[in-house]
Amino acid sequence: MRVWLVRLVLLGVIAAAGIWAWHWLFPSPEQAIRNELKQVAAAASVAPNEGQLARLANTQKLVGFFSPDVQINVDLPGRASQSFSGRDELQQAALGARSFLGSLKVRFLDVSVIVAPDRQSAEAHLTATATLPGEKLPEVQELRLHFRKVDRAWPIDRVDTVKTLR
Amino acid sequence: MSTNVEESRKPGLIQRVLIGRNPLRTLLRVVIWIVIIVVIRTYVLLPIRVEGVSMLPTYKEDGINFVNCLAYVAKPPQRGDVVAIRYAGRSVMLCKRIVALPGEQIAFHKGHIEINGETLDEPYVKKPCNWEHAPERLGPNEYYVVGDNRSMDFDQHMQGIADRSKIVGRILL
Repeated sequence: MRVWLVRLVLLGVIAAAGIWAWHWLFPSPEQAIRNELKQVAAAASVAPNEGQLARLANTQKLVGFFSPDVQINVDLPGRASQSFSGRDELQQAALGARSFLGSLKVRFLDVSVIVAPDRQSAEAHLTATATLPGEKLPEVQELRLHFRKVDRAWPIDRVDTVKTLR
Repeated sequence: MSTNVEESRKPGLIQRVLIGRNPLRTLLRVVIWIVIIVVIRTYVLLPIRVEGVSMLPTYKEDGINFVNCLAYVAKPPQRGDVVAIRYAGRSVMLCKRIVALPGEQIAFHKGHIEINGETLDEPYVKKPCNWEHAPERLGPNEYYVVGDNRSMDFDQHMQGIADRSKIVGRILL
């Protein structure tokens, strides 16, 4: 009886490990996008005393998450709206921003992902927070990101700011 | 002999205080309390920490408060209510006061709010301002929200039209 119980528990553990490994190796589109967003937030963050080489490498890593023809539309209250088209423009803007930021901590909260029925595109809705050094309160912005599947990757092809209050 | 056995089975004082006479029953009580607390915390009273100065002097920075998520189940939001407005979710929220209701026209003139052309009495605003903003008509399910601290410029104060779906609940205290 006891041997059977041990075998049953062992079987359960192996099955759970197998399911976890399967999800880790072959994540669902939603999970893949959630994982990617964590990496985007990490790449968008700026470590204190970031060197020139690290700045360039991190910027390229960040830009790598976007499709070559990415469209980014920034419309913030009280500021002129801005748009970036393509990776090159994004890279220039990101490099410029990183050069004058001492450090920056970016977080994506309340992420919801909707995958299209054909599983070839998806949209994420989230709250982005950016904490600057010395600032007690983070900058908070609602964002909508659109993803289009290319092979097994999900590059971001469109980013829009969302006005929480109109 | 049997008395000794019974005495040895009796739980000690520390055990009785910490987990009660019947550990299984105590465990059940703990589980029920955890479920009740989680349900209340998620769906009824959402604890929040107020940050920023936009609601001064009504709500000071770093104050702890609660959002009553059931406040608008039976009735719609009212003018003067201080509400929590969500971004994409509830992790970060705005704390603002409702000053105009759906269908109303709102304007700022010489620092005063005008609703349908009439000046709104706002005893909670302590610092005068000179905000000017053209009249704007709210649509259905739209509420105009603004903070009580109007000491900064109009453009630097986060305010505007919130859709009803964005209002999580009323600030409790």
